[in-house]
Amino acid sequence: MKIGGFFCASLRALGFIIVVLMLAAIPALAQTVDVTDDAVNAVAKRLYCPVCENQPLDTCMTEACARWREEIRLQLAEGSTPDQVVANFVAQFGERAVGTPLDPVLRALALVTPYVLAALALMLGVFTLIRWRGRRPVSTPAASIPVSDDYLSQVERDLRGK
Amino acid sequence: MTGLEFLQEAKDPPKPGFRLSLGGIMLLVGILMVALVVGLQLARQNRSQPTAGLAPDFTVTTFDGQTMRLSELRGQIVILNFWASWCGPCRAEAPILESIWQDYRERGVIVLGVTYADSERDARAFIAEMGMTYPNAPDVGTFVSRQLYHITGVPETFIIDQRGEIARFLFADINEQRAGEVRALLDELLARGAA
Repeated sequence: MKIGGFFCASLRALGFIIVVLMLAAIPALAQTVDVTDDAVNAVAKRLYCPVCENQPLDTCMTEACARWREEIRLQLAEGSTPDQVVANFVAQFGERAVGTPLDPVLRALALVTPYVLAALALMLGVFTLIRWRGRRPVSTPAASIPVSDDYLSQVERDLRGK
Repeated sequence: MTGLEFLQEAKDPPKPGFRLSLGGIMLLVGILMVALVVGLQLARQNRSQPTAGLAPDFTVTTFDGQTMRLSELRGQIVILNFWASWCGPCRAEAPILESIWQDYRERGVIVLGVTYADSERDARAFIAEMGMTYPNAPDVGTFVSRQLYHITGVPETFIIDQRGEIARFLFADINEQRAGEVRALLDELLARGAA
């Protein structure tokens, strides 16, 4: 009996320790397993290196980029959506984080120019189409010339140089 | 009258003159807009750090919650240091700046650290690890670092005199040798201010 009781108590203690260890491991698992590198890179693709020029964060090898990717991982692990993470970066580090110029005039132009160019291209296309459809076959001048004997004789005289 | 006037009329060449089609106008507008964007970008790239004159004014809130405005620090010498926790030279520089701060804080010198593109948790961990006791603030939106001081990396340091003018710009980290130069400059500025 004594051996059996000791065995049961030991099993209970072991079970308790296992449960405690598993509970303690949950936050660590949430950070390291749930957020994959692909998930981090999907967000990093939308951001740019803070020290390089035009270098997307997912392909940047600097320490600064590594820290930013780690920050993305932490924010995702905390429950932020990719859009929220990007918004947080913009709020914290400015529009440059998403590759938009900081200069207000330049930013406005950079944002507006592609739309203006697209609108111009569309207008040009429509304009060309309208002109193309409105073009009629050229009528032959002969159809509008009054043909008469007097006229023909006049032409013949002119051709002879008289 | 030959009766052939219609032939003459048909052969009349188009009237000379500069006439732009709608497509041409659109193309011109497009080219102008692209040129404007590229031109502005080039102009912006040519901006560099201020090395003289009045230091651009700004307001920051330190990690301790203290609001600091540069123009309100007139009468003191300000060592404005841009740093980041991911920057190796900043790690070497921090103890030197702390030492300068400890030596000069009672004499009217303030060291103000501003983080660049650094997460708050990393910056706070760095401050704690390095034992930095001088005020440090995040640069929210990188407005101070990029828009006002046009820094190109970290660390970069501006020494601003008692009148709010930039006395020295340090493009590199403050190592032991440069620390001697900084101390000499601080002594000079303090002596000039006392005179």
